[in-house]
Amino acid sequence: MNLSVPNIVILIVIGLLGVGAYALLTVRNLIKVVVALQIMVKAAMLALVLAGRLQGQENLGQSLALTVIVADTIVAVVGLALAVEVRRVVGSLDLKALTTLRR
Amino acid sequence: MGMTWLSLTIGLPWLGALVVWLVGDRDEKITHTLAVAFSLAAGVAAVLLLPFGKERLVYSIPIGGVFGDFTFVVDGLGVFLAAIATVVGSLAVIFSVDYMHGEQQLTRYYAFVLFFIGGMAGLVLTSNLLLMFFFWEITALCSYALISFHNDDPKAVAGGIKALIITQLGGIGLLAGALLLYTYTGSNDFQAFLENPALLPAGALAWMGFGCLIAAAAKSAQFPFQTWLPDAMEAPTPISALIHAATMVNAGVYLLARFYPAFAEVPGWREAVMICGMLSALLAAIMAMVATDLKRVLAYSTISQLGFMVYAVGAGGVFASQFHLLSHSVFKALLFLAAGAVIHSVGTRDMRQMGGLGKDMPLTRAVFVVGGLALAGIPIFNGFWSKELILEAGLHDNPLWLYGLMLLVAGLTAFYTLRMMSMVFYGEARAGRHVHDAGNAMKAALLPLAVGSLTTWLLAGPFGHLLAESLPAHHLKAHGTLAIVEEVITAPATYLALGVVAVGLLAGWQRQRLSALGQALSGVSKAAAESFGFEAINRGVVNAAQKLAEWLRVTQPGLLNWNVFAILCALLILLASLAVGGR
Repeated sequence: MNLSVPNIVILIVIGLLGVGAYALLTVRNLIKVVVALQIMVKAAMLALVLAGRLQGQENLGQSLALTVIVADTIVAVVGLALAVEVRRVVGSLDLKALTTLRR
Repeated sequence: MGMTWLSLTIGLPWLGALVVWLVGDRDEKITHTLAVAFSLAAGVAAVLLLPFGKERLVYSIPIGGVFGDFTFVVDGLGVFLAAIATVVGSLAVIFSVDYMHGEQQLTRYYAFVLFFIGGMAGLVLTSNLLLMFFFWEITALCSYALISFHNDDPKAVAGGIKALIITQLGGIGLLAGALLLYTYTGSNDFQAFLENPALLPAGALAWMGFGCLIAAAAKSAQFPFQTWLPDAMEAPTPISALIHAATMVNAGVYLLARFYPAFAEVPGWREAVMICGMLSALLAAIMAMVATDLKRVLAYSTISQLGFMVYAVGAGGVFASQFHLLSHSVFKALLFLAAGAVIHSVGTRDMRQMGGLGKDMPLTRAVFVVGGLALAGIPIFNGFWSKELILEAGLHDNPLWLYGLMLLVAGLTAFYTLRMMSMVFYGEARAGRHVHDAGNAMKAALLPLAVGSLTTWLLAGPFGHLLAESLPAHHLKAHGTLAIVEEVITAPATYLALGVVAVGLLAGWQRQRLSALGQALSGVSKAAAESFGFEAINRGVVNAAQKLAEWLRVTQPGLLNWNVFAILCALLILLASLAVGGR
């Protein structure tokens, strides 16, 4: 496998996805969960730009990436706001403290 | 012009729902007035749409891509049911002005009623099966919301959820039919399919036909799904009159009638439809004979009369079934609304605590008797003509034993109708009771329906012509009103049926003397009071579902990490299956 630019980007995408998924599976801190989600979304964004480039539709890929940035910001804001509320109400950011719905 | 009336028929009630909802619960009078105005306007629009039925207007809204066009077709079957939905709807809304006077949260009530009326009109006017499914579910949702209107009453909530679950179950059949249609024809529009059912291979056609039968049986409370309708009687009475007697429960019969030309040739389909209708009619009639709750008796009689219509479709009498649908909508809405006036005044639904109400409520008694005689099938009233037409359709090349059982049901109908009327309005009055006759808004709703029960049979001729001209795939023959009257009067079967009805009436009148017979049949009446075990089956299914859910709870640890793990696994399985079978 030669180290052309697309191949490098694909490797980065896979790496970011892996890091994000691993973090989602292992971390228990709510803030870290939001960070892990952000890492995965960044991977998706990069993949969109790359796909646009490979298909010759750079405009489409980049505008979709911009849309993802907007949506993703909202996710981050709401997620962090929830984390703050959880810390205030439950007194801890540990996910294990958030199992009260389970009987 | 037709397009304007079409869009107004569906749009006005929905606009009304929005307006009523936005105006809110500020002033009761404003809410009542808005609801009456919008429903009446929709009724007028639907009546003005009626003459366009013959032209068979087609109106498409391009929606692009997956769904195909959203097509509306103005034909005889559609305009006639839309007119029933909006006209009976506006009468029920007018009745509600008195009945719901002083209730909390009227906004919610009227918004859902208006949303329902628009949804029902859309359901019968569209020719896109997927869109029909959407409208179908909209009516189910409104029915649920209105049954559970008194949401602090656990019985009302349970009845609503039961109705919702059972009709949803049937809805799956309709959705399956829509998907099959789309798979084989590449379009959701069923007009071309009705004219040429061979577009679908025989196997798929059979699946679709029986899917539609399940959907229709669930919606029209037919065997084996009939249990939800009696429990739906927890709804406010105008709702029972509108949704559970005159309109929504007819959607199933409409579906069968609409698709009759496509499925008639499917082996076993017509027989299944006839048997489904016969069993519903028979079982519900027996249950109506022992029930003591006034509204439940009416609910059972609705199931029974819907059984007549379903039977008629199976027997090939599409016109007879739709004509009975018209008669039934009018006289059953009348019976329910009159029963509502009684319940509103007496404060109970138990017929054993009524009796002798006729003296205090002369007008209610008069209109109730008109409706009751129509239900029993006494000559001149509209129920007589349509029921005779159904029984006659049953005699044409159809199994004789089914006809015999339907004849028996006609007799049982006369029996329970007389029992109900005499228990409520005749006999000894209870002392110390203060009842008042129906209010003005109630009268304004009852009187047109009573006149309708006496006269709608005069429309038989024009209605038949409308159907015959606008439904080419059904190959209906149209006769004038006079010809139909002559046909009914001269047929010997009519006198046989009348004789059975007379025996039923006599038995109802002399039912005290028949107590010995009643004792002998006490096993049957006990089984009927237990709704022939269908309630037990329902409870069993609910319990099993709850046990399964309890057991599956293990899979919910409540930890985010495990949930993410499960999502990733599902994604991997999806990717793997796409990689293997995606080509």
